[in-house]
Amino acid sequence: MFEYFKEYFDFKTFFITIALVVVGLISVYSATYDAGAGSIFQRQLGWAAIGFVGMIVTAILPLKTIHRLVLPGYVILLLILLVLLIVGKTVSGSRSWFSLAKDLGGQPSEFAKAATLLALAAFLSRTTTIISDPKHLFAAIAIVVVPMGFVLAQPDLGTSMVFFAMLLPVLYWAGVDNFVLAAILSPVIVAAGALFGTSFFIISVAASAVLLYVSRRNRFIAAVAFAITLAVGVSVQFVYERLPSYQQKRIMTFLNPEADPLGSGYNVLQAKVAIGSGGLFGKGYLQGTQTQLNFIPEQWTDFIFCVPGEEFGFFGASIVLILFGVLLMHGIKIASACKNRFSSIAAIGITAVFATHVLINIGMSMGLMPVVGIPLPFLSYGGSALLATMVMSGLLMNFWANRKEY
Amino acid sequence: MSTIIHHQEEFGTLQRQRVLRIIILGIVGVLLFRLYQLQLFYNVELGKKSTENSLRSIVKEPIRGYVFDRNGNLLVDVGPSYTLMVTPAEFDERNLSLLSSILHTDPASIEERIDRGRMHSRFSPTRVKRDIDFKTLSAIEESIYLLPGVSYQVESKRYYPSAAHASHLLGYCKEISDAQLARMGDYYKLGDLIGFSGLEASYETMLRGQKGFEFIAVNARGQILGSFEDGRNDVVPKEGFDLILGLDAGTQAVAESLMANYRGSLVALDPSNGLILAMVSKPDFDPSVFSGVTPIEDWNRLNSDSTKPMFNRATMTRYPPGSTFKMVLAAAALEEGIIDEKYRITCYGAYRFGNRTFKDLHVHGSTNIVEAVQRSCNVFFYQLIHKVGLEKWGEYARRLGFGQPTGVDLGEETLGLVPSSDYFDRVYGKGKWTQGYLVSLAIGQGELGVSPLQMAVYTAALANGGTLHQPHAVQYIRNKLTNRVDEFQHRTQSAGLSPQVVELIREGMKRAVNAPGGTGGTARIPNIVVAGKTGTAENPHGDDHSWFVGFAPFDNPTIAVAIVVENAGYGGSKAAPIAGLVMERYLLGSIQRYHARPKSVPRVSVDSTGVITQAVQ
Repeated sequence: MFEYFKEYFDFKTFFITIALVVVGLISVYSATYDAGAGSIFQRQLGWAAIGFVGMIVTAILPLKTIHRLVLPGYVILLLILLVLLIVGKTVSGSRSWFSLAKDLGGQPSEFAKAATLLALAAFLSRTTTIISDPKHLFAAIAIVVVPMGFVLAQPDLGTSMVFFAMLLPVLYWAGVDNFVLAAILSPVIVAAGALFGTSFFIISVAASAVLLYVSRRNRFIAAVAFAITLAVGVSVQFVYERLPSYQQKRIMTFLNPEADPLGSGYNVLQAKVAIGSGGLFGKGYLQGTQTQLNFIPEQWTDFIFCVPGEEFGFFGASIVLILFGVLLMHGIKIASACKNRFSSIAAIGITAVFATHVLINIGMSMGLMPVVGIPLPFLSYGGSALLATMVMSGLLMNFWANRKEY
Repeated sequence: MSTIIHHQEEFGTLQRQRVLRIIILGIVGVLLFRLYQLQLFYNVELGKKSTENSLRSIVKEPIRGYVFDRNGNLLVDVGPSYTLMVTPAEFDERNLSLLSSILHTDPASIEERIDRGRMHSRFSPTRVKRDIDFKTLSAIEESIYLLPGVSYQVESKRYYPSAAHASHLLGYCKEISDAQLARMGDYYKLGDLIGFSGLEASYETMLRGQKGFEFIAVNARGQILGSFEDGRNDVVPKEGFDLILGLDAGTQAVAESLMANYRGSLVALDPSNGLILAMVSKPDFDPSVFSGVTPIEDWNRLNSDSTKPMFNRATMTRYPPGSTFKMVLAAAALEEGIIDEKYRITCYGAYRFGNRTFKDLHVHGSTNIVEAVQRSCNVFFYQLIHKVGLEKWGEYARRLGFGQPTGVDLGEETLGLVPSSDYFDRVYGKGKWTQGYLVSLAIGQGELGVSPLQMAVYTAALANGGTLHQPHAVQYIRNKLTNRVDEFQHRTQSAGLSPQVVELIREGMKRAVNAPGGTGGTARIPNIVVAGKTGTAENPHGDDHSWFVGFAPFDNPTIAVAIVVENAGYGGSKAAPIAGLVMERYLLGSIQRYHARPKSVPRVSVDSTGVITQAVQ
């Protein structure tokens, strides 16, 4: 019995998920300790329980059932995102919250991420899909870009970045030529470079030129890709001007935090002081002066990492980071071990989503990344995000258990 | 090599596994390094201090803008006000009774304010009592060592030094409500003052200035250690902009005192540009009630008063205009060529339409358009409305600014009501109303609603030859940071009336005041030719409203006035004399005919500087 369990139960994913959720609950409790907001903690506890059930159910469902649910799930979430765009009520600057489902904490774009990566995996794993065929490649890209567009139009820059970030590793894993990846990546590099100013723009253009040149198969196509890259870079300013002012502000604050020490820059400043003042072992639980000062407005959501950072110090925060690192490495291991192509690709997708969230969220708390407002998996307050990420852990467990199935 | 085989080969190869693993390790490595850098490297660099210090921002309130009248008289002043603050985390609940005895406030309400602050941030000072007097302040100073967590902050408050209240026009500030706080976003914080009505509200973003911030380092106990990074991140507050109004404080004060014991409204405009010279709405309120802390009793009293003193009658009330509206029909008939100045009817003192008889006040005999305006002949206009028709009449009413917002820079205003056949169809059903419904519209009665401000815009347009100017209170906005002065750019629109038409109407209005048999003789000013039109508007809620619209001097008007005095009877007996005195004060700088006034003119008492201080009934 135990042998069987050892063989098929994914201890690593299970225990790391539980450990991170517990750290998250502890942190949310601390971040909302004095605001009389015990209700926030209780709600999160409730969601963790729902998430736990979701994770277990997902882990033990037959793989075929999951595969069958992928298409309807994807279509339904696309429709929801579309409806949201049309009738969506603006809450806190974006339409991410369904006004109806607000009490349930339903944020459809969290689930759309999972549905999209599963749909992409299902498409790429079809025996009839030939990834080197441009038609199929574009179809694969469309699967991601359509929901990404809906999310971007909400407008939610952070979440749409996650969609994009999962596309590249999945395509890479599915065997797409390096040149194609370079052609997708280089406009993004140049676009980012354009926001930083002229010298960065030139460097990014040069970098993508090198990337495209090294990976080229055909000089003409490489030239076309480079032209597109340049066009994207030039039009970034145009798009930037159409972003809502709060996101413009966030991007600009990231580029130049001193420009806005009161708005987003203030958060980063505070977050850095909070983490920086944690020292080796931290100030002790519920003792973080920064955390308890409530100076970081989105602390229990986007800046949750400040809590372990300040209260448990380098010791605690690096354990959190290492737990994430082990989980991500394990995700790649699952993908490599899966004989079933669908679960292999999906595992990479999940790993990519987790990795992007970790990089952006923790990066922004430490002033390395723009404050784009995406949650830290398992830790941030937010019911739908917690449920969606725990279900993704459940998927990883499922893939591990069924790794020998074709 | 087929594509399929190629595809198979590349799927999840060992090399690709390695690349992805390296990327993951890279991400975790970079984050770990940054964590090390922040927590161990910088930590050591800054010494032990940073483990205990934290950053706190202290808000520096900007000075709200001043408001001046057209002659540079200060209407709205700013002075210091002391606000008692409590930092919830540092405050010892056992000191509540001491604090309450010093403040003379009951402990429960203090506790409630502290609790609200705690919800927001228990380490930031929260406002507990605004506008404490100097005696209380010194009592606090004496016991401050007994009261950890208690502090005070200097803020600004409004003062109203002028004899003119102009309370509805100027508006007032109030502590921001929770609903506004949720809606208005980032800038405002709990307890901030915000413009709530009038100019204070519509020019809020200009008047308020920008908050400044000072960042200070505090230790874990909240004790201040000094400025953070030598104040490099501090932001100096930016002073609010000043407003320079078109209002004439002297005229405003006279108008207010003349209307002191009435309900109603008066609006005076500069006909050449739409600047508001005076705006009165009575009853009004003393704006200084809102300058510091508004006791809840005062607030409730003002809001529950059945005469609605908080309500700006000049912009918000829909009155029937009565005969002052006749010039609309006159303009439509003349401009459309339906009648000319030679057209005459004979008035027998009554008009039959269907089986109803509409009465006139007098038998006017043979009457042309100019005489009809002069004598306010109802029969003339009863007949005319059937010739002109509802659609044309409505078109000219709208062309003269009725049934639509005037665009005044005071926020909310009523659209008024100019009925159309669609409107009648909606209210009475298609085919269920008759031409008889139009008869009362001819004399400004029936289903018609106008605001005094709309009437003033219309009067100004008749005065200036047919141009509608967007009425506006603010003439200039002064940016105190750059000393740049911007003029208010108002919109202008032609009513599309030919000069001959306007001249005929003006002639009728001139005669209404100056010729024998005119109804507005009580508005005359010595040595200045006034033109105008009286109105006596029936209303279902009581005695007739007394109306007058007029302008002066006739040849080159510099003031146009519309006034309504509620339930005061004939336009010629109440509204016209007040309008005359207001125009006189504006044009001559003082009122020069206290002794020679007609009986119906309110008696006024005058102080040594020539400003009317009191109206005596």
